[in-house]
Amino acid sequence: MSANRILIVDDEEIIVRLLSMSLRSDGYETLAAHSGEEGLKVFQESDPDIVVTDIKMPGMDGLELLKKIKELDPDKEVIIVTGHGDIDSTITALQYGASDFINKPVRDEALAIALDRAKEKISIREKLEEYTKNLEEKVAEATREIRRKSDFQQLLIHSSHDAIVAFNSNWEVVVYNPVAARMFDQAPGQVMKRTDIDGLYTEDLAKMMKAKADESLAEGEVTMPWKEMVLETKDNRQVPVRFAASFLHEKGEFVGTVNFFQDLTRIKELERDLVQSERLAAVGQTVSGLAHYVKNILIGLKGGSYVVDVGLQKNDTEKLKTGWNTIKKNIRRVADLTQDLLTYSKERKPEPEACVPNEIVEEVVALVKDVAASKDIKLITELDPALESVVLDPGTLHRCLLNLINNAMDACLEDEDVSKAFAVRITTRKPPGDEIVISVADNGCGMDEETQTQLFTPMFSSKGGKGTGLGLLVTQKLVEEHRGSIQVDTREGQGSEFFIKLPFETADAADINTTEEEM
Amino acid sequence: MNKKVLVVDDDADVRSFVVTVLEENGYDPLTAEDGVEGLEMIDQARPDLVILDVLMPRGSGIRLYHRLKTDDTYKEMPVIMFTGIALKSFLKSQKALAEFKGGEVPEPDIYLEKPVEPEELARAVKQKIG
Repeated sequence: MSANRILIVDDEEIIVRLLSMSLRSDGYETLAAHSGEEGLKVFQESDPDIVVTDIKMPGMDGLELLKKIKELDPDKEVIIVTGHGDIDSTITALQYGASDFINKPVRDEALAIALDRAKEKISIREKLEEYTKNLEEKVAEATREIRRKSDFQQLLIHSSHDAIVAFNSNWEVVVYNPVAARMFDQAPGQVMKRTDIDGLYTEDLAKMMKAKADESLAEGEVTMPWKEMVLETKDNRQVPVRFAASFLHEKGEFVGTVNFFQDLTRIKELERDLVQSERLAAVGQTVSGLAHYVKNILIGLKGGSYVVDVGLQKNDTEKLKTGWNTIKKNIRRVADLTQDLLTYSKERKPEPEACVPNEIVEEVVALVKDVAASKDIKLITELDPALESVVLDPGTLHRCLLNLINNAMDACLEDEDVSKAFAVRITTRKPPGDEIVISVADNGCGMDEETQTQLFTPMFSSKGGKGTGLGLLVTQKLVEEHRGSIQVDTREGQGSEFFIKLPFETADAADINTTEEEM
Repeated sequence: MNKKVLVVDDDADVRSFVVTVLEENGYDPLTAEDGVEGLEMIDQARPDLVILDVLMPRGSGIRLYHRLKTDDTYKEMPVIMFTGIALKSFLKSQKALAEFKGGEVPEPDIYLEKPVEPEELARAVKQKIG
């Protein structure tokens, strides 16, 4: 807006007319009054931007008019026209708030300058008003924004799935959301600003938080990353949670901490369900694999008993022997299967005792040598003479060796290349340290990738109905219970080698074991 | 003269059972432990019937059946399958072998799934060769 309307007040009509003409030619709109009273009236009616008034007028003079105008609108620009040397009036006009003075006779130039100055002042004032108004709006907007953010944060805290608890520097509870109320089973009304950390947390947790706060102050570390723990509540419940905390500092002072708890109860339940369902699936696989194997045993038993029946009828001792051997062999298979299943399903602690691994190897080889000979498989042993008596579970070693050697012989029988001279090589080694290494190598068919990946899968068998799919699994379990490890190295068509590493105890440890048992 | 029946099975228990059943029913049993040996016996002894297991080392039961049914020399020789695996699996294996080697084979007309009663086995043998 530009200041454009000018009220001219003078009791001399000629002066009013001359000034009006001059100003109009400069593009202003003019209003005229010939006395103070008239001037005030026009001012109130028309609200001019600038008033130019003579000081000396009969009745209400210029000073009086100035005073009245300023009472109505203190920001209005009023230019006073004075006579020469009228110092007293000038001072009074200044006191009343006149904007400018021009001397009589009024020269166009002087008036133009005074008007420009007045316009400038108006414009500055307008700008100032605008700025002020903007500023107020901006402050209002910022306030609204802050409130929005604060509401949002409140909402976020309130509706969070995590329990959120915050303490101020005096360890009083200042934030406590509904999930926290559920987790700690204390209503927000009982807690908020009424209790401190010792009233909400167990002694251990409160102590830890305070220690962490001090530590964070010293080290400048302000967050505790998420970790799983068990939250103990004041009413002695144990809640599995993921926990994180932030420590807030201001100018090197501890001002508070925010703690987050994620309730893992449901997740833990789901995990348990998952494990359970996996176990059930494994059981399903186990059952079908078992049925297959048991059927094979049944075939043997039925066939054997028929042969025995025939032998009895005909008094044929040869038949009786054959049939009876078949039955015995299959009873043996049932016993072995039961043993395998029990070993697989039950936790078993190794029973270490002093033994000579090389002797165990010889025992197992003696057990299988007839079968090997009948299949044209050579058994070779390479036993480390440095391996003397050690303390480990001889049962574990015996079972594992037997399983691996049987597997090795089966691998030879499966080999397509019948021109090979099949051999199974059993090696013992005593490297430095407290473990022995036993390997069983064959030059049979080896394993393809699928077999390798399923090697330790329950009930996976590459031997059709002739394997339980438990052998390697049991071997692995026994070795791991003995804190050992099992590895395989295989090439399709060239053979496989299994390595078992078993740690043994020192003689002293064995003594302690014995003593404990005796007690 | 008694008819000759060849039993091809890697399991000694099964062989002794089948042999006993055959003897009891007036046949002359012969035995082989795998498919390779089985074929040798067939060439040498010219049996009247073969009782063949499927699952033997080196897949030799599956192969021997395929061989017998695709080779003109043996095509007419009666075969009884006597096995622990389901017919469906056996046919699948024959199909896979046919894709590899060529030669579609007919479905076996007597397919006995172990275990079987001695009478059932005897009946099957009789049905084939009298």
